[in-house]
Amino acid sequence: MKKLRIEVCSGSECVMMGSMDIIEAIEGLKQVKQQLKLRAQIEIVPCKCLGPCKNENLAPVVRINDELITQATGDIVMSKIIAAIKD
Amino acid sequence: MQGIYTSVTKIRRQVFAAVAKLAYEHDEYSSIEEIPYQIIPGEVATYRNSVFVERAIIGERLRLAMGLPLRRADEHSALSKGVEEAAVPKKFFSAPLVNVISFACNACPTNSYEVSNNCRGCLAHPCTSVCPVKAISIVNGKSHIDKEKCVRCGRCQQACPYDAIVHYDRPCAAACGMDAIGSDELGRAKIDQEKCVSCGQCIVNCPFGAIADKSEIFQIIQSIKQGDKVCAAIAPSFAGQLGPLATTEKLHEAFKILGFDDVVEVALGADKGAVAEAHHYAHAVPDKQPFLATSCCPSWSVLAKRTLPDLVECVSESDTPMIETAKVIKKRNPNTKVVFVGPCVAKKLEATRKLTAGYIDFVITFEELMGMFVAKGVEFGDLNEEQPLDDASSDGRGYAVAGGVADAIVNNVKAFYPDKEVLVDRAEGLKDCKKMLMLAKAGKRNGYLLEGMACPGGCIGGAGTLMPLNKAAAAVKQYQKSSPYNLAKDNPNIDE
Repeated sequence: MKKLRIEVCSGSECVMMGSMDIIEAIEGLKQVKQQLKLRAQIEIVPCKCLGPCKNENLAPVVRINDELITQATGDIVMSKIIAAIKD
Repeated sequence: MQGIYTSVTKIRRQVFAAVAKLAYEHDEYSSIEEIPYQIIPGEVATYRNSVFVERAIIGERLRLAMGLPLRRADEHSALSKGVEEAAVPKKFFSAPLVNVISFACNACPTNSYEVSNNCRGCLAHPCTSVCPVKAISIVNGKSHIDKEKCVRCGRCQQACPYDAIVHYDRPCAAACGMDAIGSDELGRAKIDQEKCVSCGQCIVNCPFGAIADKSEIFQIIQSIKQGDKVCAAIAPSFAGQLGPLATTEKLHEAFKILGFDDVVEVALGADKGAVAEAHHYAHAVPDKQPFLATSCCPSWSVLAKRTLPDLVECVSESDTPMIETAKVIKKRNPNTKVVFVGPCVAKKLEATRKLTAGYIDFVITFEELMGMFVAKGVEFGDLNEEQPLDDASSDGRGYAVAGGVADAIVNNVKAFYPDKEVLVDRAEGLKDCKKMLMLAKAGKRNGYLLEGMACPGGCIGGAGTLMPLNKAAAAVKQYQKSSPYNLAKDNPNIDE
């Protein structure tokens, strides 16, 4: 089974810009597990400020394994997760 | 839609952070004219059909966030008009609190039923059989609703086996439990300020982001900059709202960076209220009054008094947790300004009432507070867990979630009067609150304790919150558990 570690920035700017809703979206994937044929272990880690938002409008920030996603949204993160599990 | 992060949420919060930053970093505010270009950069529209409209809407939002009135759309006036006058260290905004930015409104069709493409023109067409006013006929092989005749009962929608009949309603009007939303001459939403109780649900339910309330961020920061002693009275629903790193032990330090002097839990005032109402219920219901309605939710208590003008005395007269807490703070230090920080738009209005105005200097929501943290660059991840919160009991902290107020009162009635039985009914959302009140009016809730919450889910579902409901509810549970006292009556701070 594949393992994914997803760090969701919980710094102030990212929380304001909806990073907790991204966690909600990732957790929501469990409900559609069957439709998506999801077989992976997903670990969600709310983490300290990852940094990039400090320059212009890059919040919220999410890191999936080693890939950094800026201006993340629930739909972007969900599709990245599904892509990462497939290949 | 409330509880889902969308572009509307994003824009609203960007505006709060921008106003807080402007106030903290400047002493002269003409650069407000630049903010719409910072929030909406470039030449291509992102959200609506024109980048100019987008910026104009940001402009109006900025004005409201500074406590200024909207501008007239048919009259030239600078965005910054009145900004310097608004830069005062005291309450500034005037009614109306909740405003429709008319040119952002989509003029959605009002309550109606329509037949969609899903209609198969079936043989049975039960839609026609159930319509009580013969408004549905078969035209060109499909159902057709005569809008003149339709009474919008919704029976056809329930009867259709293909889900082909769609109910349209304005999201703002559907969310309004007071029927306060009508239309202006261009079909755009217009709030009947006589009916509105400022619960704020229309603000968070408008998918076009056309409704906003006024804020006091700008004036609070003026007060801080002037060197006033400012104390935050934080509502129990704050648990979890500021993210997982914002533990209660870090709050004092975080507020200090913003320029606040101290933080006190409003759950302390809730404890006082719970004890007072427990005694009140035990002594007066049902002998002296038929029932007791709670009073901590301001929208609910206004609704209750309006619906039951003859039974006003049944609505609890004990001060709301906000006021009780402010009294304690002012007693400790009369020169302190009190900022209520909560999930609630209606508290902004409650704080302007004559009876309460002396205690509460400002009111902001968690969303607005988050804007201040972002403007000041406060990172909870970098703070130390220095000072735990210990003002309140688990009972008082439970006020944040629907059912929690009644639970707290019941717990304390049981502790004081073990033989007294308490009957409880409760409702969340003003529509359901109204139904409960009608039952009470008809004499069907005699002997009851009635808890009303204007927002679905209770305070954690308030218009000024940031977290999805289930996350917030879990965080409040945790916060309740961490209290040193279970019962409100066991909290020694209530004697203060």
